[in-house]
Amino acid sequence: MTFGQPLFLLGTAAALIPLLVHLFDRRRPREVPFAALDFVLRSQKRTASRLKLKRLLLYLLRTLVLLAVPIALARPSFATAEAASVKRGVAATSIVVDTSLALRWGEGTRLFERAKDEAKSALRGLSGEEPATVVICTRNPTPVAPVGFERARLMGAIDDAAPGFEAIDLNRCLEVAARSLDDSPLPNRRLVLVSALTQASLRLEAQPPMGAGLKGEKVKPEFVVRDVAKGKDLPNRALVDVHAEAAPQLGPRAWQFTFTVRNFSKEAARDVELLLEVNGEVVQKGFVDLAAEGTAQKTLSWRFAQGGVATVTGRLEADALPDDDAHSVVLSVPRVLTALIVNGSPSPQKYKDEAFFTEAALSATGSPVKAVVRDADAAWREKLSDYDVVLLLNVDTPPAEVARALGEFVNAGGGLFVSVGDRVDPDAWNAVMGGLLPRKLRVVKTAVEPNQGDASTRAARLTQVALDHPVMVPFTGRAREGLLSTRFYRYALFEGDAQGVETEVLGTMDDGAPAFLASRRGKGRVFVYASTVDRDWSDLPIRTSFLPLMQRVAGWLTGTLDEREEVRPKVGEVVTLKPEANQSPAWAKAASGAEVALTALPQGGGVTGGPMPEPGPWQVVDAKGAVLEKLGFAVAIDAGASNLARHGLDALSDWLGEASVRTSGSGGPESSTPLWTWLLTAAVVAFFLEGLLLRK
Amino acid sequence: MLLDAATLSRIAGLKFRARAVVEGVLSGLHKSPTHGQSVEFAEHKDYAPGDELRHLDWKAYGKFDKFYVKRFEHETNLRAVMVVDTSGSMGFGTSGLSKLDVGRVMAATLAHLLIKQQDAAGVAMVAQGRFAEIPPRSTAGHLGAILDALETASPRGLTDLAMTADALAEKLPRRSLVCIFSDFFDERQDALKRILALRSRKHDVAVFHLVDKAELEFPFEDPTLFTSMEDDRRIEVNPREIKESYLEEFNRFLEATQNACRAADCDYERVRTDEPIDEVLLRFLGRRGGKL
Repeated sequence: MTFGQPLFLLGTAAALIPLLVHLFDRRRPREVPFAALDFVLRSQKRTASRLKLKRLLLYLLRTLVLLAVPIALARPSFATAEAASVKRGVAATSIVVDTSLALRWGEGTRLFERAKDEAKSALRGLSGEEPATVVICTRNPTPVAPVGFERARLMGAIDDAAPGFEAIDLNRCLEVAARSLDDSPLPNRRLVLVSALTQASLRLEAQPPMGAGLKGEKVKPEFVVRDVAKGKDLPNRALVDVHAEAAPQLGPRAWQFTFTVRNFSKEAARDVELLLEVNGEVVQKGFVDLAAEGTAQKTLSWRFAQGGVATVTGRLEADALPDDDAHSVVLSVPRVLTALIVNGSPSPQKYKDEAFFTEAALSATGSPVKAVVRDADAAWREKLSDYDVVLLLNVDTPPAEVARALGEFVNAGGGLFVSVGDRVDPDAWNAVMGGLLPRKLRVVKTAVEPNQGDASTRAARLTQVALDHPVMVPFTGRAREGLLSTRFYRYALFEGDAQGVETEVLGTMDDGAPAFLASRRGKGRVFVYASTVDRDWSDLPIRTSFLPLMQRVAGWLTGTLDEREEVRPKVGEVVTLKPEANQSPAWAKAASGAEVALTALPQGGGVTGGPMPEPGPWQVVDAKGAVLEKLGFAVAIDAGASNLARHGLDALSDWLGEASVRTSGSGGPESSTPLWTWLLTAAVVAFFLEGLLLRK
Repeated sequence: MLLDAATLSRIAGLKFRARAVVEGVLSGLHKSPTHGQSVEFAEHKDYAPGDELRHLDWKAYGKFDKFYVKRFEHETNLRAVMVVDTSGSMGFGTSGLSKLDVGRVMAATLAHLLIKQQDAAGVAMVAQGRFAEIPPRSTAGHLGAILDALETASPRGLTDLAMTADALAEKLPRRSLVCIFSDFFDERQDALKRILALRSRKHDVAVFHLVDKAELEFPFEDPTLFTSMEDDRRIEVNPREIKESYLEEFNRFLEATQNACRAADCDYERVRTDEPIDEVLLRFLGRRGGKL
């Protein structure tokens, strides 16, 4: 117990007054001859024991009144004997207000509203000679003002504070708060922590914060903890992840979404509703059962009517913390692509036809590509602008006007795929198409004749694959092994990079020769495969990797695949975007109106912005305000922040090394009502009871 | 002067009527329930052995040849004794008059009225070990003796109602009216019973229970040392603390006394020392008139 105004304790000597009056009051009573003395004697005998008790009660009540008033005026507060021995009287105070996601929890009223009341109450409870400051505990905590007496400014800062969407590091905030008191001339320091005390925010394995004394020595401040959760648990469930993947087996543009739901409470929940929203409209509904402190997954699917960017949101039945019950993802649903397959080596036998495997791959179920196969003569008569991508499969050297048309087609945003074969004359191709290819053709290398008996062992193989490229992203794990085991009997070799052209090598043979080359030309893209797409020079067409490879090549050539697909930052993280050459993103905007500026990274590394302040879908706009739809992304709440498991007050007291933990409701002393108020109330009640007893 | 002229003038307008069971001698006012010697013929009855021969009506024998005995109306005088308690507690009073003052004024008033009606009145003043009596007489000069005796009485000693009852039973041979003026503060359990036992000896008993306002209301506030008026007992109490209990005890005592009197068929009149004495007497006399 410590006292703010210990001098008032001298007033407790007044409690001796009733005893002194009892001992020294010797007034002589008036003598009255009375006829009915027998009745007086009888009454006195009858009431003697009751009167004795009454006199004792009166004595106690009077003593209580005279004791409670000076103690109340001395402004008592709880503290351990250790703290009380060194920290008495006024203290410089720093009030730390937690803004973690947990403070958004609420049944009717959010905990943060209570936290603000508690912080203001703590501020009001300080005596006039106690300097104070407030630290709103955010990702970058700083004191609202230097420690001083600007109460109005501190009150305003508390009023303006808002809860965040992540688990804030309270230990850091306490350090900042402790340091903010270093400049105070007062020897006593006090930290008031207003928090929900979640384990995600406060690490008790760390050392409690220390301040610096007037001579630079370390000083342990007095701690007062105001638990806004009133010592209760904060049950919560959250939608912590959404995994989206294409589901071609369900039809074109079909996707399935696997939602991961975690129950952080100690009670199981049955039939929790889960909604699937596409662009804000509910399209599917499901239910999940959640074990106590368990995790469940639920998969819902949806087939998009058309391609384009879509915002998909999973939304759980709301609980006391609704902010983590929704989880969004921004998808790029492939649109229907039209492809012109130019068959350079047609054959009536399908398995010998140059275009057979490619057409089959692009026309498979779930493929976004609508392919048209033409021989070279017919193809040159086609209007190229009607197609998204043109695939030249082992084609003779195109006429000059066709080569020019192909160049214009690519520069305008079209995609060009080139595979070689025995019909491709490198010199003639270089002369006509050299300016369009990533690298000029050199010669054709034969690793082994396909017909030889040991061809399968002597054939060339892929050794390196650029798995970070969108085309190659699916080839991880066993899929990568399948791709790398492809045999190449014969393949084209290429010259070095042409000047001014950036070429990406997505795969190389075991001799280092490129197998896949990609480059951008104008608004379009070019992809070159160094072997054949039939079985003449390679067995790639009959491998399982061929189908997804061709579909993703078609997607990349038309710009429907890009790096944005993996942009899923958490709240508090920095977002990095890779815009196309013709895009200049300037801002990211949330539906709530929040904005984050995007800045360009050096060496064409894209743009970056953040940390992201809130969850949900975000749009990206350029400097003119035009929405760059394909760069949109979704921000998620970290699952750790949704875990609202709390520290016990005992553990907290052990950590702080003193018994100064208070709660704002049941489970401990009422922190919003100071102790002196109770003492004064007790004095008034005792005074009233004393009067009542006297009247009887 | 004990007798208040205004009080006496108001009482004089009423006729004092005794009960049928009390004998009286004044003609026209008090009829006797017994037949006796008189000049006024009442009726004849058949002679029976044992009747006095001097009452035989010889004229009737001449006419009817049967023996008849003559019977006469027997007029009587009322004998009344005013018993006044002169114990120490009767000296208490907070309204100007002590209980003894009020008791002797009432006794004197009633004696005056009775003697004026040719009835016999006496007085007895009692306390522990003392019994001073003036026997009942109906002469006008007797009133002075009664008043002198009452006037010289002073309060002292313990109340002894039992001794009073025994002395009256011995000294009152005929049916009499016994008026008792006392506060009945007698510690013995059977004291009141023995007083009321006079009623079983055919006496007409009227109880005047004298109480003071302070005894009824216990108006004391500050710590007080109460001393006894009959012995040397004393006690210091805070009156506010015991007031409720005292009033409860005292009212229970008043109720018990009143109920005992009514059960014994005795008249009971509670007299506060601060109320007008004539009103009390008129109330008493009026109630007795209703019984006749």
